[in-house]
Amino acid sequence: MSQIITKSSLLRLADKWLAEQKRVIGPRSAPSGQVLYAEVEDAAELSLAGYIRPANSIKDYIFPRHEKLYSYKINGRNIELIDAELSTVEQVFIGARPCDAAAMPILDRIFNWDCSDDFFNRRRELSTIITFACKEHDDYCFCTSVNSGPEDSRGSDVILFEIDDEKYEVRSLTDKGKKLFDGNTEESDKISSVGPGPEICFDLKKIKQFLDEGFESPLWKKISLGCIGCGVCTYTCPTCHCFDIVDEGNSSGGERVRNWDSCQFSMFTKHASGHNPRSSSSQRGRQRIYHKFQIYPEKFGKLLCTGCGNCSRDCPVSSGVKSVLQAVQKSIMENG
Amino acid sequence: MLRKLQNTCRQLLLEGKVDVVIGYGQADSESPTHPVFITDAKDVKKLVWNDKCLINLVTYLKRPEIKSLGKSAIVAKGCDERAIVVLEKESQLERDSVFVIGMACAGVGQPLLPKCKVCDAHMPQVADIIIGSVENPSVDADTRYAELKSFLKKSPEERHKHWVKECRRCLKCYACRQTCPMCYCERCIVDVNQPQYIDSSASTKGNFAWHITRAFHLAGRCVGCDECTRVCPVGIDLRLLNMSIAKSAEQNFEFRAGVDPDAKPIIGSYSEQDREDFIR
Amino acid sequence: MSDEKEQFEPKIIAYVCNWCTYLGADLAGTNRLEYPANVRIVRLPCTGRIDFNLMVKAFEAGADSVLVSGCHPGDCHYTTGNFHARRRWILFRSLLDTMGIDVDRIHFTWISAAEGKKWQEVVTDITESTRKLGPYTAYQRVCGES
Repeated sequence: MSQIITKSSLLRLADKWLAEQKRVIGPRSAPSGQVLYAEVEDAAELSLAGYIRPANSIKDYIFPRHEKLYSYKINGRNIELIDAELSTVEQVFIGARPCDAAAMPILDRIFNWDCSDDFFNRRRELSTIITFACKEHDDYCFCTSVNSGPEDSRGSDVILFEIDDEKYEVRSLTDKGKKLFDGNTEESDKISSVGPGPEICFDLKKIKQFLDEGFESPLWKKISLGCIGCGVCTYTCPTCHCFDIVDEGNSSGGERVRNWDSCQFSMFTKHASGHNPRSSSSQRGRQRIYHKFQIYPEKFGKLLCTGCGNCSRDCPVSSGVKSVLQAVQKSIMENG
Repeated sequence: MLRKLQNTCRQLLLEGKVDVVIGYGQADSESPTHPVFITDAKDVKKLVWNDKCLINLVTYLKRPEIKSLGKSAIVAKGCDERAIVVLEKESQLERDSVFVIGMACAGVGQPLLPKCKVCDAHMPQVADIIIGSVENPSVDADTRYAELKSFLKKSPEERHKHWVKECRRCLKCYACRQTCPMCYCERCIVDVNQPQYIDSSASTKGNFAWHITRAFHLAGRCVGCDECTRVCPVGIDLRLLNMSIAKSAEQNFEFRAGVDPDAKPIIGSYSEQDREDFIR
Repeated sequence: MSDEKEQFEPKIIAYVCNWCTYLGADLAGTNRLEYPANVRIVRLPCTGRIDFNLMVKAFEAGADSVLVSGCHPGDCHYTTGNFHARRRWILFRSLLDTMGIDVDRIHFTWISAAEGKKWQEVVTDITESTRKLGPYTAYQRVCGES
């Protein structure tokens, strides 16, 4: 016996959460035809079917692209510092994908590694993530190759499995999830199904071995020739988390803010001395793979990738983690 | 056409006329195309040519990693080729350092891209060799800017609301800048931080300032390849911004970027007859 | 006691060239021609130096109107600076118009060093027309968003 909910009941719940002044975030169709995670003002805006996954990730609402840390006011010789207030708004994500939710425990580790990031932690506490397990995938998905899959429930508070167009099986995994769904579901003996997920497209062990031995391989240059050095892969990635802290203001006042940054920007590693240890696109492309598949795993025991495929889907030149690792795998096979 | 393209490239490489061919490759017929950089004549079979060849490959001519590969041959559509004209005018490349393989193009994209519907550059004009042949109708300015004209029917307040809404989505990923062949500044103004002229933040204010700046820095230089719009991960319609300046350039100075290799760039020049009906 | 409604005092930023308009404004001063104190003058060597971003920044900083003024064509101290500026302004206005920025709040003039009277008239007119338009809250709202 399982707990189920109908689509219309789910949307009614979403409207109820909105009425309770909660922020509701989910996939929404943009005028350009894309589907993007966005804050909705009405549950009817949510687009819950008809696409593989949104072109962005949910991290924007927990680790925002632009966030105030504190502000300052200068009055003569007097400087006043005003801390930014931590978020107080509860937020519910409806329609996250397993590859988005699984990124959250990964980010939890980073933002609590050497110091506790209060801004991030507060938003995490206030967030409840309702994930939809995947019935379909496209050629860009590769969750199964990175120890994940279409029903990966890591990071989710609730995971929904599609029974048919109008019904979902509800599995509440955490207290936060139970709080939202208890009393709002029915018992049923209907069976839900989940897709098989994409075929595994590279061998992690072989990749790891190549990374251990192939830092100087000419392959990195070959693979990176097409990269134009934008930040799309990093910004649409659920696990990428680099940021830049800047002061914006003038002589009478301003703010210290934190913005997303990308290791693919040419000036990402430019030192104050003028030296740039990663001045070429091949060094930057190589670094991203190493960070995700060697450096982060060595430190935290997990891959810094959930296989969502956004990096390839959104890449202007169709590169991305999957195609890079497939090229690495191909090179391993050809060279023995 | 594909056979001729591959043969041409094979010849160029075998005869040592070029060191690298910049063209389109494709994993399989269902996938999008991606750029290929072919240095070995036997790899020319990787080249493809079809209506999925969207990327403006001219953007690679500005990258040091590509320049270091040596003299290049580049596969260019009529719209892409205009970028080469502009780059040469701005002394960013020597025309004889690039062998331009012009491809006759009836339009790309599934569905057909908006720029293709009003294109009058189906046949390349300045290429060293043209492969294929296709009808090249002329298009009048009204048709060319029809999309902008219908946008301008909105009131100023509606237009402002529209751009604020668009700018809210911007992530400052700079894909628009990186993909544009004309954005070749080694240090973009938005990366200058002493002082910081344009906010680097992805706040609405920072995004507004960025898009105004980029559009204006492309005044008289944007060739309308629309790559910026294609690559935007959040679907901002940047074409309209660039189109508004291009329309003004054509109406006021009879100028279209990249079309006439001998025309003087409009920002670098002036006429004593320039209009001043808006100046008191 | 009379109920006086506080009149909206527009803030106008004027980017003027050093050789003509600035001296024209100075002439207005020496001739004791009164003009509204709403204008804040920013002196630049030439209109050719005026970056369009200066206009954007003026609005970001809270200006309700922007005035850009320089030497008459043919009289530029640097010979061609104002010709280049004029061309840029033509293009920039069309961009601003597309973006829905109020082009009625951006004014261009040629004011020579001898035209103190014109400076007085221009500033007075712009102050009044901006007063009628009201404060430029739309732009401030954009800037205020985080």
